[in-house]
Amino acid sequence: MQQLLYAAEVSLNGLTTGVLYSLVALGYVLIFKSSGVFNYSQGVMVLFAALTLVGLQRGQVPFAHLWTAMFGTHTYFFGWTLAPAIAVILTLGIMVLLAILVERLILKHLVNQHPIILFMATIGLAYFIEGFGDLLWGSEVKKLDIGLPVGISETVEAWTAEWFGYGFFIDRLDLFAGLVAAVLVGLLTLLLRYSQLGRTLRAVADDHQAALSVGISLRLVWVFVWSAAGFVALVAGIMWGAKSGVQFSLSLIALKALPVLMLGGFTSIRGAIVGGLIIGVGEKLFDFLAGPIIGGATENWFAYVLALAFLMFRPQGLFGEKIIERV
Amino acid sequence: MFYREVGDYKTTYADDSQTFPIRFDRLRYFFVLFVAIAIVPLWIDDYWSNAVLVPFLVWSVAAIGLNILTGYCGQISLGTGGFMAVGAFACYKLMTQFPELNIVFCILASGIVTSAVGIVFGLPSLRIKGFYLAVATLAAQFFLVWLFNKVPWFYNYSFSGQITAPERTVFGLPVTGPNVEPWAQYLICLAFVFVLAWGARNLTRGALGRKWMAIRDMDIAAEIIGVDPLRAKLSAFAISSFYVGVAGALYFAVYLGAVEATEAFGINQSFLVLFMIIIGGLGSIFGALIGAAFMVLMPIVLKNILTGGLNWEPSLATHVEFMLVGCLIMVFLIAEPHGISQLWNIAKQKLRLWPFPH
Amino acid sequence: MLMEVRGVSLRFGGVVALDDVSFDIAKGEIRAIIGPNGAGKSSMLNVINGFYRPQQGDIWYRGQKRESGKPHKIAGEGIARTFQNIALFEGMSALDNIMCGRLTLVRSGFWKQLLWWGPAEREEFEHRERVEHIIDFLEIQAIRKTPVGQLPYGLQKRVELGRALASEPTLLLLDEPMAGMNNEEKEDMCRFVLDVNEELGTTIVLIEHDMGVVMDIADRVVVMDHGQLIADGIPAEIMHNQDVIDAYLGVAH
Repeated sequence: MQQLLYAAEVSLNGLTTGVLYSLVALGYVLIFKSSGVFNYSQGVMVLFAALTLVGLQRGQVPFAHLWTAMFGTHTYFFGWTLAPAIAVILTLGIMVLLAILVERLILKHLVNQHPIILFMATIGLAYFIEGFGDLLWGSEVKKLDIGLPVGISETVEAWTAEWFGYGFFIDRLDLFAGLVAAVLVGLLTLLLRYSQLGRTLRAVADDHQAALSVGISLRLVWVFVWSAAGFVALVAGIMWGAKSGVQFSLSLIALKALPVLMLGGFTSIRGAIVGGLIIGVGEKLFDFLAGPIIGGATENWFAYVLALAFLMFRPQGLFGEKIIERV
Repeated sequence: MFYREVGDYKTTYADDSQTFPIRFDRLRYFFVLFVAIAIVPLWIDDYWSNAVLVPFLVWSVAAIGLNILTGYCGQISLGTGGFMAVGAFACYKLMTQFPELNIVFCILASGIVTSAVGIVFGLPSLRIKGFYLAVATLAAQFFLVWLFNKVPWFYNYSFSGQITAPERTVFGLPVTGPNVEPWAQYLICLAFVFVLAWGARNLTRGALGRKWMAIRDMDIAAEIIGVDPLRAKLSAFAISSFYVGVAGALYFAVYLGAVEATEAFGINQSFLVLFMIIIGGLGSIFGALIGAAFMVLMPIVLKNILTGGLNWEPSLATHVEFMLVGCLIMVFLIAEPHGISQLWNIAKQKLRLWPFPH
Repeated sequence: MLMEVRGVSLRFGGVVALDDVSFDIAKGEIRAIIGPNGAGKSSMLNVINGFYRPQQGDIWYRGQKRESGKPHKIAGEGIARTFQNIALFEGMSALDNIMCGRLTLVRSGFWKQLLWWGPAEREEFEHRERVEHIIDFLEIQAIRKTPVGQLPYGLQKRVELGRALASEPTLLLLDEPMAGMNNEEKEDMCRFVLDVNEELGTTIVLIEHDMGVVMDIADRVVVMDHGQLIADGIPAEIMHNQDVIDAYLGVAH
């Protein structure tokens, strides 16, 4: 019984990690659905958004290390701090700027290229953003604090203790993240399904040429979805950053969104959510059950192997559309 | 002016399909080979061997391997680091279990072991395509590295989890271990690169290469004209992994001498090799070599300028390197997807007509 | 009979692409399949070369019932085809594309290819010689080393025909070989088709919309509509078949 309760707690914690995976995966889905680009750099965008937010909030001097190296300025801070809300809005502006630049400088030149070429280009983009982000804000580990609820939720502990005689340890931040994710998903689903914009996005995803011929501005759509993905990246960055600090490993955690997508299907928002939850719970539970026997740290690979095994049976993922081959 | 095909008439199909159709190219090829074999070993020192030439040669083998899979057969892989780890650990196990076995056989056998592992992870390619497969190869990357970290049998229960290459000799000369001479290190790698590049060239210019390229360009049409997709893809995985495995074995045994799985064979290594073939040229053996040279030299040059010349912190140089690499990848994919080797070909075309371009 | 199609039905989900179709193909003839768009002609070719597997019915080839359905095996049995939307290998030259047609005939194994010198090289040049004959025959000598992506449509069609011919097929399937061509190009293509049929004795099944072409070069014609076979016979009969006129040629005068 005790073992079962442990497992339940582990699963619940996995569920909240899964929510964060889903958040990152959502960014991939948005871009893939509307432009057919599999944006590898989404994970690094999460890191970049978090770095920028922290940097702005703490009043860091951009490129401080570079200026120091070149002119010996040794000035790293302006000496002010910004209110979290203002920092978030400014960061959002920078993510939109990034989206515009990506469209102008990269996507425009890669229209109608093979998907693999596009994919590799986004790997290049990921490297660039990573180097740029570190150069801009410095690469040391930073603490992100914009006043989100933290610590163990006593309410949950008290409730569960009352019901099961065993208090579950759940982080307040995780509960909050779950809430934010739910709201975000709800909004996006409504937007995609019922708005004119949503129809436009789906048209573009279906057939670029046809969309162009009915007068849809492809470039505007791209800027929009990359901005939206930037927004999602920011939200994910805030959650992850508050949970485990802003550092490079953030972009590696974000890589986990890839198996999430394979599991859920690249085109489905629902898939991203369900996939994220399955993988979040799956890897925690697997490490809990099998970890002690085979050496632990299975979280490094479990998600990928699970997705791989799953794809052998259903190549299009849980909610993806079945591909019919034609000649 | 001397770069001409005029007067060099092709009278047989053999002439027409040789690797270097222009006489000047053939002469230069033999010249480069002569310098590499006879001149370089005379002056090579520790710095050139360890920082430039040996890493270049080792990465060349890996890049040729990945180019077979990605450039020729169109199956993208992000698991190169993991497969190199298989080669390295297989080599270590063979060297320690069979001390009397010649190192050359150990390295080749490591390639074969990696080949088998490659086939296993290549199986999904039959059902999964494009970047789905790329993500699937991440499974190989993370799982394999984890395996070599967690199962003590692979590193002979050593306390640190490191593997260290014992001394082995070829014709009485040590090529691994602490007493190895720079030129011996260099020559053994050169020999592997030469033979393996030649083999890759043969495979890719013949029937097997055409099968791979047919699968790459249009897999359905390839199947309908009689290419078995299963065998074509798995052979690409097997041969590519063989090369990558040999590269891993050389990387561990000859180049570094001691490695630890997570550090030496992380996902960054997978990307490094991928970048080599993108920048050097997808679908070209020469491109793999030139890409390897570029990616080995670029950080050294950058570091010399920024850290050595301008006295910047090393971490800044790393950030700049990341940005530069990212930019180069995007610029090449946008402007010239066939990489430096294609730029080279274009330059040669121009040179053929020079000085009268019309 | 070289091939018999017996009672073939093919469905995609609820859509019936082929409905109980039966006909035969005699050795050495030019067999045309005609019908309006969506009649199931291309699906029929896809069944013949194994790309689709029908839910019902059998294919009998050279007196034997087909058991396995792998397209690459069927290609190895001497069935080659061209595609309605050109399916060339865009990363390769015209020469390499046609050389690909001979992949089913390559005998050298892996080790011989790895060594290259000797048997593999000799074999390569034997294949090259046969391919050069095809290049001469199709009059595309000037473009042999051009990447196929850069070629105009008509030449791409020719290269594709070359690739199919290179495998020395017993049965050649042509899916709208003359679509989108001008009259001159059509005449060239007709000549190639007739020459292949006469000189090499290759049996040809072709889908074509140009009735003039079909009447001129086909020995027998199958007419399809809505996945069903509505007529089968020599061109002169088909011309006067009332069902065909209603379904395909439109209003009867």
